[in-house]
Amino acid sequence: MDFPFVKEAISQLFSKSSCAMYPAVPSQAAPGYRGRIVYHADKCIACGMCERVCSGNAITRTVEHLEDGQDRITLTFNLGSCTFCATCADFCTRNAIELTGDYHMVATKEEDLLVTGSFIKAAPKKKAPAAAAPEDCQAAPAVKPRDDGKPVNDPARCVYCTLCAKKCPVQALTVDRAAKTWVLDEDKCIACGTCAQACPKNCIII
Amino acid sequence: MFKKLIEESTGKSPWLFHINAGSCNGCDIELVSVLTPRYDAERLGFKLAGSPRHADIVVVTGPVTKQSLPRVLRAISQVPEPRCIVTMGSCPQSGNVFRGSYSVAGPLSKYVHVDVDVAGCAPKPEAVIDGLALAAQILKEKRGQMK
Amino acid sequence: MTIVIGALQYLGYVLIFPGFLFCFLAGMLLCGIDRKLVAKMQKRVGPPVLQPFYDFFKLCGKETIVPAAAERITFMLAPLVGLAALVVIQLFIPVFGFTAFSGMADIIVILYLLLIPALAIILGGAASGSPYAGVGLSREMVTIISCELPLVLVLLAVAKTVGDAMGTGLCFSLSSIAQYQALNGSLITKISMVPAAVALLLIIPGETGNHPFDAAEAETEICEGMLAEYSGAPLGVFKLSHAVKMLTLTSLFVALFLGGLGTGILPLDVLLMFLLCAVITAVAISFVHAVTARLRIEQIFKYYWTVVSALALISLVLAWYGL
Repeated sequence: MDFPFVKEAISQLFSKSSCAMYPAVPSQAAPGYRGRIVYHADKCIACGMCERVCSGNAITRTVEHLEDGQDRITLTFNLGSCTFCATCADFCTRNAIELTGDYHMVATKEEDLLVTGSFIKAAPKKKAPAAAAPEDCQAAPAVKPRDDGKPVNDPARCVYCTLCAKKCPVQALTVDRAAKTWVLDEDKCIACGTCAQACPKNCIII
Repeated sequence: MFKKLIEESTGKSPWLFHINAGSCNGCDIELVSVLTPRYDAERLGFKLAGSPRHADIVVVTGPVTKQSLPRVLRAISQVPEPRCIVTMGSCPQSGNVFRGSYSVAGPLSKYVHVDVDVAGCAPKPEAVIDGLALAAQILKEKRGQMK
Repeated sequence: MTIVIGALQYLGYVLIFPGFLFCFLAGMLLCGIDRKLVAKMQKRVGPPVLQPFYDFFKLCGKETIVPAAAERITFMLAPLVGLAALVVIQLFIPVFGFTAFSGMADIIVILYLLLIPALAIILGGAASGSPYAGVGLSREMVTIISCELPLVLVLLAVAKTVGDAMGTGLCFSLSSIAQYQALNGSLITKISMVPAAVALLLIIPGETGNHPFDAAEAETEICEGMLAEYSGAPLGVFKLSHAVKMLTLTSLFVALFLGGLGTGILPLDVLLMFLLCAVITAVAISFVHAVTARLRIEQIFKYYWTVVSALALISLVLAWYGL
């Protein structure tokens, strides 16, 4: 018959409790805690990577066409379906998603658990014919970037290794190694910039 | 006079009953850690009851699986009024990663009226205390509106 | 006229002091003190001391559900019978010289009446028609049987000691025991009574069904055992009778072993008795709760019929030889 905690029981009777008195004493989450999502709509480019990688299917994107060719794009994060893995924040190339240390997510209605944000995506501008290119551009790339943010290839430096086509998440590029062609499908392209980052010869300008 | 006394007491002594409807146990561990010395929910009057007939607040964790659904509903129906149902974690609220599976019967709000959602995967014990305190408040209001 | 006054006086005893109201307040306070002390020993903060009151009033406000398989009348009346028996026992226990009802054979009456609350909870559990209640009530029966033997031995030892000193053989009247202690000092100061006092301290958590001996009402194992199907006001009355049983047993200890400390002024005596009851609750109930794990039912039986009975038997033998 063994009573191991007798001394502790008596001494703890007269000492302070080890209780972190929570609602009276506020408590901070540890640094790096993945809590409530904050969405910076101004940085977002609506590439859709977060939606694709979300494990709980918590992100939805709605596009509303406005009159002058612009779109209002709204992203909604459902915290009631989120598993707080931060994969969306990791994949976001523009750091528009941040998981803060706010852990108070208590709601009585389902709407309280939705984090939304929207931004207006401007229509692509119609540009005037380009001015003459500067003369001293042997070292500089010979092509100018497009105004609508989509990639353009420099045929002088391209070796048609097809890496950009392999990395493209929406399969918008068709590169033929033998025929030395580089074709961009503009409807599919989402201007995420993965091809430019992947190109080993830095010949894609975006 | 007694009515006011009963109403005040209902807010100060809510007894919990915990149902695991197929959970991964993460939320269950966070729930019982609320009763440990560090967070000590007992100072607010919370106590784990052994039988659903003794409970006021029902805490459900886990996406409600098809096998556990009739049992969960039966246990909830045995809780006497006034009662408050709290879903803990994102699983009973929407199914989280298990949504659409062949064995998940869907969010709990499809079957019973859920009063409080505590979101998180798993929610921090402080968030659980917040949710339970809110549930005790709702319980007090329900008692005030009864009979 | 005197009959009416006498009847009113007795009614006051039954309803106010030391009857129903006193039992309610003092019992619930003791229960609250016990929970607070257990929490402090476990390094927590614990519920406020008035928490059992909040629990009781909340339960009065809940809906009472009677299961379809239950026997309705027994189900609803069992808690009240248990509570009534406990209040009657409290009426017999002296408060340092003041006794509400006293007779020649108080101790025997108390011994029989102490069985009634346990029987009430057994009948209530049986009437509820639940298999969990069946397991719980068979364990409760074993617990009662195991606590009866040492309790009888302790009471016999005290009765013999006081009876020898007063020359009447065996003295079963509690008020006489209180008078003897007021003249000669508390019984606990006699060496031969110390094992009996220790035995009674060990019997108290078993009789009330508190922690290491609560196999009958094990929460996590059998869904609260006999109380599984109770809800609302009947459950509140059962919790109340649990609290009053704590008061009854600790005040019995005070009356039997610590009786010589009274002052003579009734309110002070009541306060002193309550403080002593709180101290005994702390030692016998809370401390034992905080440092032990729950015993199995056969371990409870073995423990009471060997260790505790041996202690009580030592006292009885010493008392019989007049030491």
